[in-house]
Amino acid sequence: MRHLVSNVEVETTPSPEVDVLDEVTKPWQVMVLNDPVNLMSFVTLILKRIFGYSEEKAVELMLKVHYEGSAVVWTGEREKAELYVQQLQSHQLYAVMEPVD
Amino acid sequence: MELIKNDDSTWTLSKVSELEHLMLSRLPDSADPTGCEEASDRLYPSPIAPDAEVDDDKSFTLENDWKEFIEPELRSDFRDSLKVVADDLGKSSMTKEGELNQYEFIIPTAHANHWCSALNQARIVIHHRYDLPSEDGLLDMDPNPEKWMATLQSEIYGMLMEFLIKKVLWI
Repeated sequence: MRHLVSNVEVETTPSPEVDVLDEVTKPWQVMVLNDPVNLMSFVTLILKRIFGYSEEKAVELMLKVHYEGSAVVWTGEREKAELYVQQLQSHQLYAVMEPVD
Repeated sequence: MELIKNDDSTWTLSKVSELEHLMLSRLPDSADPTGCEEASDRLYPSPIAPDAEVDDDKSFTLENDWKEFIEPELRSDFRDSLKVVADDLGKSSMTKEGELNQYEFIIPTAHANHWCSALNQARIVIHHRYDLPSEDGLLDMDPNPEKWMATLQSEIYGMLMEFLIKKVLWI
């Protein structure tokens, strides 16, 4: 970023605090990817158990994974996203995360 | 094969045929991904989505941290489940139904999650090790006996998982 101060050109860089804040507050989404092995009932059970979703919502997400190849199952802060990915992977679901655009 | 609730927080897996017993006895070994890189990659995937737009540095750090701290925990959890199931399998008893041998296993309710984990892990490893197709039924006529047996093994594990999910674990 460039500013002109009294006809003298000076160069500044964004404050590192802004970068850190952005990194912390930027939401991440947790996704479950389709896997030909996991049973539909098992995926539904795990989504209910980990996120406390109703059966209706868990089935809806499971079907999205099955037919569309993936589904975003949760969005929020990065640390919590990491925890959810770990929990899903501990049940052998194909879970990953990515920052939201 | 049938699953019956007992009065003491346990379940009996009864009427297990010789073939089902043979397949179940292979469970701990079948769940071991050693020598099958695809199965290991699937059991311990990167936490970052394949197409995620993440800086290389951040991606590298997260993946390294995951390998250092999370993956050993996952390995330990999976190993614990296999150990519990192997112990339960070791306590089977044999009965006679006419001329046929049948087997029974006791599965404590508290072990049901371990059983699902072990069965699911074995299904994942079998699928990758034998390169089974994604859709059910495609191997019905497969002439390769190893693949045919692997499919049968995976289907028996899937059936037992369905029993456990529907009867024991459903909330």
